[in-house]
Amino acid sequence: MWAWLFHRISGLALVFYLFLHLMVLSSATAGPAAFDRAMEELHSPLFLALDLLLLLAVLYHGLNGIRVVLFDLGLGVRRQAALFWMVMVLTALVLLAAVAVTWPFLFGGGRAG
Amino acid sequence: MDQALGAADTPTVYFNVQRYDPEVDAKPRYDRFAVPYEPGMTVLQGLLWILDHVDGSLALRYSCREAACGSCAMLVNGWYRLACKTQVKDLRSKEITVQPLPHYPVIKDLVVDMSGFFAKYRAVQPYLVGGDGQRAVEPASGPGAPAPEEVAPGREFRQSPADRAAFEDATICILCGACTSSCPSFWTNPDYLGPAALLKGYRFAADTRDCLAERVPLLSGEDGIYRCHTIFNCTAACPKEIPITEALQSLKRMASRRLLGGGGGGGRQAAR
Repeated sequence: MWAWLFHRISGLALVFYLFLHLMVLSSATAGPAAFDRAMEELHSPLFLALDLLLLLAVLYHGLNGIRVVLFDLGLGVRRQAALFWMVMVLTALVLLAAVAVTWPFLFGGGRAG
Repeated sequence: MDQALGAADTPTVYFNVQRYDPEVDAKPRYDRFAVPYEPGMTVLQGLLWILDHVDGSLALRYSCREAACGSCAMLVNGWYRLACKTQVKDLRSKEITVQPLPHYPVIKDLVVDMSGFFAKYRAVQPYLVGGDGQRAVEPASGPGAPAPEEVAPGREFRQSPADRAAFEDATICILCGACTSSCPSFWTNPDYLGPAALLKGYRFAADTRDCLAERVPLLSGEDGIYRCHTIFNCTAACPKEIPITEALQSLKRMASRRLLGGGGGGGRQAAR
């Protein structure tokens, strides 16, 4: 049940993000100054941290989506629990790699981009 | 009160039983019963001890006491179990919480209203369908199966052991209702046929003597098979350990194959 629940929650979060994304993008279209200001904000540690959350939702939703597609093809239905843990481990590994890449910009005072 | 049976050296377990009479009580409450434990004691035996020695007003359903009738499914320590099949020892706790199956209306205490459950069971027509020459128009396969031209109305419908084995798992359902009670799709849509009825539908859809063209529409409607979102609660809850989700996935493929027109008469074979 947790796999399904996380899938629903991450799906809703991604829909919410899509609208947020469009709002932020349209705020950057008001002219060169507005664009620079938006880019400045998006490079802040806060937004990078939010990007990591976004990545978490995308990774889980995508990988678990593949798991569910396999079930619809009739594959691995009896191994659903093991597949769920594979999804979790893959999600964690890629997210950890992303955190490692982002770390200097989050806490080291470095500048992204 | 006849606590004398529980001698001083007898281990005691405590049953916390949900009591609720919707006609009298505003909300459910829990009664706590000290029950003398005996080796080999099941949860049902504990409940019957309470019924015999402490409180004769406790309402519960049971019949066979051997996991064959499906009457005594309930939540024991928060999980779907048959009371008769659950050893107190295996719960590894002296505190035992017993509740009725959730998401069915409570009639009294541990007895829930299964009429909706059985209405859905009847709705899937839990018997071989397809008469008037339609029945078994799809040829059986495997060793010993009759050649297609031998199959005609009014004749014996033979089935090979291999064809029977294909849906063996689905035949051992005892209709205890645990799976449907555990299904979030059913929680959010009480009209959903639910895993038990759909498993029964699969049992016949996968039967070479049944007519798929008549069977599939019974199962693939608005409240049918496509409301299964592979949550796997049913498979986890099933006291008979039937791989229900797997059967429902097979059913989905049979139904979609027919919908897309790709399966023709061979949908049953190809979906296996």
